[in-house]
Amino acid sequence: MVHILGVNLPDNHLARFALTKFYGVGHKTAHRLCARLQVHDKCKVKDLSPFQVTSLASFLSAPASAPPLPRYLVATPSYVPPPPNIPIQTLQAQFNAARIEREKKKLKRGIEAGKGYVDPLKSLKIESELRREIRENIAHQRMIGSYVGKRHAMHLPVRGQNTQSNAKTAKKLNQLDRY
Amino acid sequence: MRPTQLLQKGRSAWKGPYFVAFPNLREALTNHVPIKTQARSCTILPNFVGIRFMVHNGKDYVPVNVTQDMVGHKLGEFSHTKKRFTYRATKRS
Repeated sequence: MVHILGVNLPDNHLARFALTKFYGVGHKTAHRLCARLQVHDKCKVKDLSPFQVTSLASFLSAPASAPPLPRYLVATPSYVPPPPNIPIQTLQAQFNAARIEREKKKLKRGIEAGKGYVDPLKSLKIESELRREIRENIAHQRMIGSYVGKRHAMHLPVRGQNTQSNAKTAKKLNQLDRY
Repeated sequence: MRPTQLLQKGRSAWKGPYFVAFPNLREALTNHVPIKTQARSCTILPNFVGIRFMVHNGKDYVPVNVTQDMVGHKLGEFSHTKKRFTYRATKRS
């Protein structure tokens, strides 16, 4: 069992399905998250490495301020791999230093970092943040006195559905303070 | 940007929002004269703020005071067309 941000992901679930346990993460977003953390398709939650779990937690706690993904360069034919006795930490440090150097060079040339491509996960909102946004939207509608806000206050469907019989979901969910 | 992406965002992305050009807009703003209209589908533009509208709800004209928060909504959203059912005992003559 892995606990991340108060949500527990069941051990024997596939990682890409377990991620949908988060409020605001569906299949598509889960797929994106898996790609970001380099989690393969058949990976179960118990097979996630501690590094992946911590990076997932740190990413989900603040998606907007997460550092942009590194762009891995393709090795040239003349590339000589480092000897295997160098620990991974030093290799990573070297890689990060080289990346920062490249970013600086780009800045010098006047190219903004990450321009052109905007990471769709940057605007990810989950759990309480998403709930607050929904609540604020409903409160806004109610405050300006629109039809949508009125229907929320009456616990009735908002988009013109019939109310003679069912409308069960709306009666359950449509409230001014939904969460 | 690809044209299909623009098309998928809805009409107002590629054609602009639908609105009615009210000829008496300036006069309404200065003299506080309400604008009587049946154009419920007219989008509230930023220059409508502070104007009083009388929006038709199918039966009569409901007063709507436009505020800053209403920009982007439609006029009809603020003129309710349905009223709550209240039971009234029928008078026997």
